[in-house]
Amino acid sequence: MLEKILSSCKLSSVSKIIEHAPIQFNRRLLYTTPVHYKKQAGRYRVTHRGDFPLTYEMANPPHQIAHRKSWNSWNTSNIVGGVRPAETAVEDVFIRKFMSGTWHNLFVSEIIIKRQYNIIRIAGIIQRTVNPRKLYFLIGYTEELLSFWLQCPIKLELQTVAERKDVIYKYI
Amino acid sequence: MMNIPVFLKSPRNVKQANYLSSLLYRKLSHSADVEEKIEIPKRIPRGPTDILRALESTITRDPTAAHYKYHDDPYLIPKSNVGKRTFAMAQEAGRKAAHWIRREHADLFNHREADPVIQAFLPRVVYNEDSEVTENDLKQTIEDVQVADAVIVYKALKSKGVKVSKETEQSLLDLLCYFNSEDTLSEEFIEERWFMQSSRSKERHRKIWKDGNLAEEIFISIENPTAEAYSTIIQGMTKHFQVTRAWELYEEAQNKGLVLSTNTYNSLIRVVNFLKEQYDMRWVLIVNLLTDMNKLGLKPNLATLNAILQALSTMGGGNAAKDNALKTLREFKKLGIEPSLGSYYFLLVTFCKERGPKSTILYDIMAHIENKEHKIRDLSDTNFFVTAMDVCRNHLNDVEMAKRVDRLLHIGNNYDLIGDSYKESIYYRHYFILLVTYVPLDEFMNQTYDKLVPNIYVPEPGVMLELLTQVELNAAVEYIPKLWSDMTVFDHTTRENLLELISNIMVNNPPADSELRERFSYIAWDMYNKIESQNENRYNKITLTGEMLGKIMTLLLKNDDFSKACAVMEKLDKGHSSIVGIPKFETLSLFVDKCIENKAPSQAIRCIQYCADSGFPEVNSLAVRLDEKLTLDEELLGSLTKAVGNFRLDNKSSANVE
Repeated sequence: MLEKILSSCKLSSVSKIIEHAPIQFNRRLLYTTPVHYKKQAGRYRVTHRGDFPLTYEMANPPHQIAHRKSWNSWNTSNIVGGVRPAETAVEDVFIRKFMSGTWHNLFVSEIIIKRQYNIIRIAGIIQRTVNPRKLYFLIGYTEELLSFWLQCPIKLELQTVAERKDVIYKYI
Repeated sequence: MMNIPVFLKSPRNVKQANYLSSLLYRKLSHSADVEEKIEIPKRIPRGPTDILRALESTITRDPTAAHYKYHDDPYLIPKSNVGKRTFAMAQEAGRKAAHWIRREHADLFNHREADPVIQAFLPRVVYNEDSEVTENDLKQTIEDVQVADAVIVYKALKSKGVKVSKETEQSLLDLLCYFNSEDTLSEEFIEERWFMQSSRSKERHRKIWKDGNLAEEIFISIENPTAEAYSTIIQGMTKHFQVTRAWELYEEAQNKGLVLSTNTYNSLIRVVNFLKEQYDMRWVLIVNLLTDMNKLGLKPNLATLNAILQALSTMGGGNAAKDNALKTLREFKKLGIEPSLGSYYFLLVTFCKERGPKSTILYDIMAHIENKEHKIRDLSDTNFFVTAMDVCRNHLNDVEMAKRVDRLLHIGNNYDLIGDSYKESIYYRHYFILLVTYVPLDEFMNQTYDKLVPNIYVPEPGVMLELLTQVELNAAVEYIPKLWSDMTVFDHTTRENLLELISNIMVNNPPADSELRERFSYIAWDMYNKIESQNENRYNKITLTGEMLGKIMTLLLKNDDFSKACAVMEKLDKGHSSIVGIPKFETLSLFVDKCIENKAPSQAIRCIQYCADSGFPEVNSLAVRLDEKLTLDEELLGSLTKAVGNFRLDNKSSANVE
């Protein structure tokens, strides 16, 4: 910023600015708030070759939430009178990590977590690279283990697609 | 009021008329209110789940969807019996894996997330010989039906010399006797229970009581056992068919003058056929036991009735058993004990013997139980529906009755009484075979088959055979494509008899429209490929016979799939020494005709060669036809002559004869 000002001013006028605002230049400010990448978060950069696949959700930037796409976590923790906002957020992160690790390379969509009363429903789209029998094993395992961990009923709501290509909305 | 119709004539006045009528209505209803007294209904106390139950009662089973235990996704919906079983069991196996992890890392799962704490989510307490236990732990394990844990806790208590109270000892004895001192499958694993029982029923009626187990030890260690302890141990022994010891203990208790419980008598009556060999002796023993009960002032209950009827059902097909069964029923009716479905099940077993006179008792039974909702009251209740359907099919051959039984099964929650997966499939097997034999095929296909298959019931190969036989009898070839695709999905295409039957039907009933012909040709080719691509190491592989190949070829040729037919012909020709049987001459003749049509003389000559090798006397006529229709060059003519000899000469000579 300062450089810009300096370059735009004539050299003779620099001293004038310094005279007028001596305090500004003598004090060094430390900005401690995390940077808010408002223009970058949740957006994908166009690649050179234009071959980066995006799902429909990825293709829509955050400001399209509630317009063209929806939330990934559904709960009432953050409305007035909601309970356990911090715990809910941490648990959701845990669930997402657990799901992507246990269902390795199977999810081709975001993992949607919906909470109603004490029930947590985990939804998503998976690809059919694994035998349905194994998928049923994973369903049983995930539902049971997560309910032991979070101590509430967990349900999976899965849909399958033949391959990853089926959920690609566009390439950029 | 009279004016209203006049108002209504012009549309402009409609609004006015409405206003007026509403006024009138208000006035009328108001005057009615004055006369009527508002009665506020009494509050009905509701349970916490009553609303859910009310909602649930509005939903019936949707036959177009898979059972709700499966995921609603085309890839994850099972389509065959094997699929249904493996998917459900795989899910349960996954749940068990989670249980295993929780058990192995119990220290990690001790956090308390839920408020109030839900015990089911927390890891189980692990006991061993040295753990610090109190009587309360023992009570808790008994409460939770953890048989093995209860045994460990009990032993730990004994080794520490802790005195266990009489009541706890008795309830432990109850637990051990009921479960034969073995851990039982947790009630959580419903799928395993649903699919398991079929295998368990086979080992029925065999002594499974473990002699000298902890239950017996505890019983012996009790000084002066009470009547209660005697009752428990006798019931445990009879339940697991240690009959002789049970009877000894019964006599011991008699001598001591102890009054045993009604259920003990019931259990003894149930095993009376192990105690006495002859039928009349068995009945005498039952009567004696009942007289004893009467003397002691014990009131019989439903289990007594069912025990007597069960014992009678094992006493052959004589009239004595039947008479006694009816007498018993009458007697218990007088006592005000309503028979359960299990009682009727035993009646059916007694009356409808395989090699006995026909009995119409099911009609009388249905009069009592029809259009009612039944709850389980006895373990044997789950046998009723499958047996009733068996009787309908094998004993009565009565479709109407079968439909009535089926209607009863679908009233309220009666479907809970179907038992397990094995009983369910037997029930539907009987129902299907009966319907397919006696109901017009169209009606059966539209109303039953399309509705129940595949989500509720997947027909076994035997049922499919019956269905195909009916299709053959009715010449209803329009169902063949559908049935073939079902057979493919249900994994029936490895059954030789089914393949033979379906190909017979297709060959013997040549369809008129070209679409069906095309489908048939597709099926035939599919069949051929399926058999050809069988795994080499399969246990009972299907071997292609000459007849089968001939039928496949006919079907292909009818649809002008000449190249595919050539492939089949080649297979026949190459495997001439290994393939059993030969196709019909008509097929080969048809093939030659199609060769002529397609101008493929070399294929035709190969076929004629094959005919000659197979020893068909009519082979000359084929050669002649080929020669007439197509102009053959020298080389081809030479090979044709090589195959059948000098056919031109024969032809001329035969012409001369004519």
